[in-house]
This record gives sequence, C-alpha cells and structure tokens, in this order.
Amino acid sequence: MEETNKQVPVTVLTGFLGAGKTTLLNRILTEQHGKKYAVIVNEFGEQGIDNDLVVDADEEVFEMNNGCICCTVRGDLIRILSGLMKRADKLDAIIVETTGLADPAPVAQTFFVDQDVADRTKLDAIVTVADAVHLSTQLTDHHEAEEQIAFADVVLLNKIDLVDEGGLEVVKERIKKINPFAKVINTTKCGVSLNEILNLDAFSLKRVLDVEPDFLTSDHDHEHDDDVTSLSFVSDTPLDMEKFQDWFSKLLQTKGQDILRTKGILDFTGESDRYVFQGVHMLMDASPMGKWPEGKERSSRLVFIGRNLESMNLKEGFENCKSA
Amino acid sequence: MKADTNQFPELDKTKFEQRGTEFKLGIPITNAVTVGNSIAVGFGDGTVRIFTSGESSEPIKAHKGIVLCMSKDGDNILTGGDDGRFLNISLDGKINEIGNFGTRWVDHVTANNGSLVCSSGNIVYLWSPNHKEPKLFEHNSTIGGIAFDAKGRRLAVSRYGGVTLWKKDYSNKWNSSELNWKGSHNKVIFSPDGKYLVTSMQENQLHFWRLKDKIDSAMSGYGAKIKSFAFVDDSKYLATSGAKEAVCWPFDGDGPVGREPICLPYVGNKLVTFVEPFPNENAILTGLSDGSVFLSEIEKASNTIIIRSFTEFEVSAIAVTKDCSHLLIGDMGGNILWTSIWDEEKK
Repeated sequence: MEETNKQVPVTVLTGFLGAGKTTLLNRILTEQHGKKYAVIVNEFGEQGIDNDLVVDADEEVFEMNNGCICCTVRGDLIRILSGLMKRADKLDAIIVETTGLADPAPVAQTFFVDQDVADRTKLDAIVTVADAVHLSTQLTDHHEAEEQIAFADVVLLNKIDLVDEGGLEVVKERIKKINPFAKVINTTKCGVSLNEILNLDAFSLKRVLDVEPDFLTSDHDHEHDDDVTSLSFVSDTPLDMEKFQDWFSKLLQTKGQDILRTKGILDFTGESDRYVFQGVHMLMDASPMGKWPEGKERSSRLVFIGRNLESMNLKEGFENCKSA
Repeated sequence: MKADTNQFPELDKTKFEQRGTEFKLGIPITNAVTVGNSIAVGFGDGTVRIFTSGESSEPIKAHKGIVLCMSKDGDNILTGGDDGRFLNISLDGKINEIGNFGTRWVDHVTANNGSLVCSSGNIVYLWSPNHKEPKLFEHNSTIGGIAFDAKGRRLAVSRYGGVTLWKKDYSNKWNSSELNWKGSHNKVIFSPDGKYLVTSMQENQLHFWRLKDKIDSAMSGYGAKIKSFAFVDDSKYLATSGAKEAVCWPFDGDGPVGREPICLPYVGNKLVTFVEPFPNENAILTGLSDGSVFLSEIEKASNTIIIRSFTEFEVSAIAVTKDCSHLLIGDMGGNILWTSIWDEEKK
C-alpha cells in the first residue's frame, strides 16, 4: 500500500480542438490553491496556461518491439514522467493534455508497459471534453473522436448553452452508445467541481467493482461496422477459470486491435475470491480482489467497448466458459 | 537493521562509510561527473554542487527544476535542464548560458575538444570552438542519447528506430549514416576503442553494432530497463545494470556474439541500477536499488567488497576522482558518501 501512496496521479485530458480543454486546464490550475501540478501540453496555442510547470511535449507514439502490434506507447511521456520523478519537490498531480486528434490508447498503455512510469505514477482517469454543438459531426468524421469517448472515464459535455434540449439528448444518446460507463457531466465553460475530474482512481481494479453493466446498450442498430459500441454480459453460473483464460487470451491476441477497453468481475468455480480485471487493447491488469460480500449473489460481469464486437461471437465465447 | 529510518546504523557502517564523509541532503541526485580531483553533482532541484576533498561547495543555482544531464568540458561542466537551458559551469560556480530552448527540455549534453553539444527535442545542436551559432542536426524523433567517439570525429545520436551516426570528413563537413533497429533507443555509447556502438532500449535490452561491418545484435534477458552501462578495462567488457546481477558482456576478440556474459551476484538480491568502471582496472563499482554499492573484479567475483551499505534509495550516481584516490556515491534520496578508496589515505 505504501507504494501506491508514492505514485503521483496522472489525469489525461482529451477532446477535440476548441472543445474547451484549455479552459478546463486553467480552471483546475487556478482553483486548486496550494497544490503543485505539472502540466504536459502538446498544442502550444494562443491561450496561455497559467502554471509554473508547463512541459512542452511532442506526442510521439512508439511501437514496442515486443511482437505485439497494437502495443504502442507515448515515448515523450515516458521521458517526461521519468524526468519529473527526479524533482526535489513532490507533485500533487500531473495533467497531460493531448492534441485533438490523438488516440488515447498509447497514453493509457504507457502506464501498463513502462515499469518506471508504473512504479512512480498512476493513470488516474481519462477526461474527455466534448463540444455539445459539434460532437455529433466529429464522431461521424473522425474515428479519434470516437476513441476519445470510448476511453473516457468522464465526458465533460461542454457548451450545452449553445444547443437546445433535443440536440443535447441526441448527443448524450450518442455518447452512451459508445461508452455507457463514462460519467457524463453537462457544463458551460467547463464549470465543474474538481473532485469530479481529479483523483478518481478510475484505472484501479477496485473501481471495476463499481461497474454496472448496462443491458440497454447491446443493440444492433448502428450504422457502420466501424462504429465504436459496447457490449456487456452477466452470468450467475460460475465460470471455469481455465476455459475463461483460454478464450479471453486468444480473444485479446486476435482481436485486441478492435477491443478498446474491457472490464470485468469474475466468479470462478472453486474460488472464494472475486477476480477483477481491466484492460486497454491487448494489455491487462488483473487480480483477486477479496472475498465476495456475504449474503449477496455471486455473478460474473464482463464489459467490452470496441469496434466490430458483433463479429467476435462474444456471447457464445462467454457462455462456453460457464462451468458444466 | 531498519530499512525505514533513513539512517546508517553505526554498527553496520562499512569501513568506507566510517572513514568517509556523509551528506544527507534530501534532494534526489541525478548525475555526477568527475572533473580532475573534484566531482560535480547535479540535483533534482536544479542545483549543482562541487565536492572536493570531502567538502561540498555552496549549491550553484543552475536550473529551475531538475539537472537532467551533465558532462565534462575540459575543467568545466556542462548541464542541461528542464528549464530548457544548456549551461557551462566552472568549478568556482560561474555560469555561462550556451543555449536556451524555453519550454523544451535539454535532455542530453556532451563535449569533445571544445565542441559543445546538446539535444533538445529531435535536434542536436553543436557549437564548434569559437563559433557563436550552433550547427543543427535534425532527426525524425526525439533524441534518446548522444555520444562522441574518443577522437570527436563521430557523433552517435540514438532515436526511435536506431542510431544516426554523424561523421566529420577532413573538410569538417558532417555526413550522416543510419543504423536501424526497430524500437526506441535511449542512451548510446562508443566503445573506447571505437569499434562498437551500444544503445539501451525502451524494451529491457541493449543493442550493439560492430562499426567496421555493421553487424548488429541484441543483448537481452534483463528484468528491468537498462539505465546504466559502461565499457570497462579499455573495451574488454561492457558492464550493465537492469538485472539482479551486474551483467558483463565480453567485447574483446570478435565481440559478444555467441558468448556468455559474466554475471556478478550481490547479497540482498536487489536490482543493479548503476555501474561505473573503476579506472584502469578490470573492475566495476555497482550500485543497487537499495542504495548499497560494491566494488568487484569482473574476472574474480570472489574479490567483491562492500563500499556502502543500504540507504533504501536507488543508487543514481557513482564517480571516481581522476587520481583514483576518492569516490562519490549518490542516491535518489539525496544521500552522498565521499570516501577515500585506499587504507593508507586514512587520516
């Protein structure tokens, strides 16, 4: 546990150009008095960022030379985070702003792949700022916009004063279809309480326990196969650990590029502990997470967010893992 | 013994700790460089201190946040920082700013015969002696490391996808050639005999090229990233960190291909985080993740002695004075040990 305390939380801010990332950033920096933040920026735009510690980075995506094709990391983040960890004064948090067209996966994967980064920092949450007026068009035109929603733990739906109620509902529906697990917060000018976006610990396995699958989302009416959607499954029958591991590892190996995020709580036959995992593409964190709560039904819950999920026979695969 | 007290228990002190001087500064140590019989140390608060005969100079306020890198330029030191400044600092603390890159960090610095080099982002800047304006060498990605060969005619620049080798021809024009290997390359060094180029990678492995015929190969099997490696005894061995043993690859004869490295084990089973060749000997100083430091003969592992016991902080710097009489050890917890190496120096 002591190790965890030493890890500096890193919040990733994504969102298209003009959505309000800089507004949010300046809000965080001016409101949190007495805290020391480092801000890693990529777009050195017109609007200034009001902080002593601003680091200019070049969003460099590196492929790891480990035979895993979708295993990409942000090389600049490894360099900068490793450097920041040598500072004499301790940082309360690090905020990474990504460019509008960035895929969040390499950022998240950096925290799985690089040991130094993982030892000293932890990915706290991915916060996506979305422009309520333009999000629908952006989602249609740019797959990066879909990915930013798909990876988000929090979506800050900004500029809601500029759309009518009907328009707002359409945008929210669209977000929910891609990622029903993200918390959507309506704002104008990014007016949000900071405890809703900082220190969420969204990537910790403990938080996976809060995931409630949303059964309404397994619909089939999306327009292209390229659309990001989510699917979730629940089983009250315990799973066979060997069968599950076999199916799931093959699935991630072969379809990991299309599977953006996964989360799950698993009830294995003969195991008294809950098994919890969460993953980004092919990379996964998994661990037993204590006993099942007394008096509550044990059940397995599994969530996928990705593309072409329909083609992966996920339901069948999951059903086959049930203990006979 | 207690690992959580940040104290060196009196009884467990090595003879080097007993006769040496300890400084508990509490500021992470990022670099140490030998300049004659002084050792310059860079810190995680942007300061530099010069240690001479067991005394520390006043901190020199060099950079705003962190001294990211250091090198030697004759009797002076070069530093690069997270404030984007590239500095030349004399031992009496005079600072001369060579370059300033604003919000872009100066990640690497080096020098050879008065030519001063730094990298910031994907560009290497080279100031030739008596030139005010630098020459720029642009690369396709952020630079992972830079190194001159002994003569200063070749400059190796590691990057994503391999190394760019710049060579100065006799009309002083620099021409580049590429040594490619998939993946991201960090620190780069030449062997002292100039025959080999070695890089550490983002993956837990090293890569080397034999320059005469460009054959290359990986050195793998490490449990952690290799942050520190150096040639020992001219170019006979390459000593490396990144495992629980100091792994020493043979580079004499035809090089390491098909040969086994010598692995030097240490008590405590901790990760080796720093290796420093002992000058003119077939021996290395090895620093571990718990702060302990050992001196080992590579070909006779039984001749290993403990220099410093643990501090609980990773060893991040070791340097030996030019006359080989004293050494300095620094760690990420800001502890420094300055000690004489030989018994007879005991006062």
